[in-house]
Amino acid sequence: MLDVHGLRKVYEGSGRRTEAVRDLTFSVEAGELVCLVGPSGCGKTTLLKCVGGLLAPTAGEVRLAGRRVEGPPPGMAFVFQEYGRSLFPWMRVGQNVELPLKQKKLGRERRRELVADALESVGLADAAGAYPWQLSGGMQQRVAIARALAYEPEVLLMDEPFAAVDAQTRADLEDLVRRLWRERGITILFVTHDIDEAVYLGERVIVLSASPTVVQEQLKVDLPAERDQVHTRVSPRFAELRTRVYEQIQAAKRGGAGKAVQ
Amino acid sequence: MKGADAALGAAGLAAFLALCEAVPRLGLVDEDYFPPAGRVADALGRELSDGAFWSALGDTLTGWALGLAIAVSAGVLAGVLIAVVPYLREATASTIEFLRPIPSVALIPLAVLLYGTELRSVLLLVVYASFWQVLIQVLYGVRDVDPVAEETARSYGLGTWARVRHVLWPTALPYVMTGVRLAAAVALILAVTAELVIGAPGLGARIAVAQTSQAVPEMYALIVVTGVLGLLINVGARSVERRALAWHQSVRGEVAV
Repeated sequence: MLDVHGLRKVYEGSGRRTEAVRDLTFSVEAGELVCLVGPSGCGKTTLLKCVGGLLAPTAGEVRLAGRRVEGPPPGMAFVFQEYGRSLFPWMRVGQNVELPLKQKKLGRERRRELVADALESVGLADAAGAYPWQLSGGMQQRVAIARALAYEPEVLLMDEPFAAVDAQTRADLEDLVRRLWRERGITILFVTHDIDEAVYLGERVIVLSASPTVVQEQLKVDLPAERDQVHTRVSPRFAELRTRVYEQIQAAKRGGAGKAVQ
Repeated sequence: MKGADAALGAAGLAAFLALCEAVPRLGLVDEDYFPPAGRVADALGRELSDGAFWSALGDTLTGWALGLAIAVSAGVLAGVLIAVVPYLREATASTIEFLRPIPSVALIPLAVLLYGTELRSVLLLVVYASFWQVLIQVLYGVRDVDPVAEETARSYGLGTWARVRHVLWPTALPYVMTGVRLAAAVALILAVTAELVIGAPGLGARIAVAQTSQAVPEMYALIVVTGVLGLLINVGARSVERRALAWHQSVRGEVAV
């Protein structure tokens, strides 16, 4: 579904040359939920923006369903970490969700259906008339997720979406993402710096090295599909997986390349 | 609290008027050039019942409103264009910085040469003065676009025009509103100045006539009218601003969930 091949991104500006991403190759199957995790400052956001067509890579390519990504493709939706800045404060919740659909030239009836359905599935059916700034942080991020859902993307890109909310809200939102993924069969690429979150959410975890970034390791998460905050997080397998990811990230920070296991 | 504030404000105004009444009557200033408030009020009453006054007021407001409308549309259009077209900002910055500080009144001779005492003379001065107020604010406003909002819009496939309409314009709107409010005040100043100096029909010309015919209380009455006009324009602009920016931090204040 999504293929990233030999991706490299070098920022050039005012005499400084920064290689944010060196050489990344990985793919995401249709309907898969993949978490990208890496040490802070490892170019996760750069990578995701290249995948989403918001940044042009210096070398390499991204393909969505076989087509090369050169600008934001219609089949992709982006959920940003900064929900407060990503939602438009001059529009009500319903209008925020509806705006991308207008750009898709959908009819009024269809738009209304999609908006109602998306808000319903994130538990905000009553909030359509409110302004985003009247809602709590967690609710605002739900609106941003609803906006992405209504867009009916093939691939959903999420850039540390829960980094700015409190722990309890975060647990709820994680379960929301798991539920939506299972219900709707969307392909999700989820970037996080939180190891527990990556293991809890993902079907597969891709560990990135420190910048300049390469893939440090890929890890299949063989936890049951039915997960919950209480039991999954204390299961022995969860502990093993998170230890494994943790070790890899420590290795990445030291700059040592851990052995790549597919 | 609000009631007390209003009462204090009214008391202050009353005291000021009483002072204006008392000072000339006590002979502290020459009554010929500074008539007591009561006589100014009488003159104001006579003005209000004179048809010529109302047509002068109409002329001034026409020049003000037309000039402001032209300046705002041109300022917004130019500002957005400069923001959207690459390199245009860099190319125009120095020219704008050069033209902007030229005082509009310095163009009075040009206006007279071109249009004599017609309305167009007034418009030239009003538009020149208010255009920069709007343009500068629009240029600040379009720089304020949040990169995350912009990227969100791009990621959902919004094209250039859709991004101008849904992201750039709402972001710039608070600045535009400030620009319009400033421009509205400047436009009134320039409209009256043009009438006063050039003699284009309006309140300014009427003030000049009152002065040359030694009708001092009438002159003060007309000055008071221009002051009230400025006050009303500011109040009006603020209420439009509050309505258009109900969503904005500066207006909405802190909202409980």
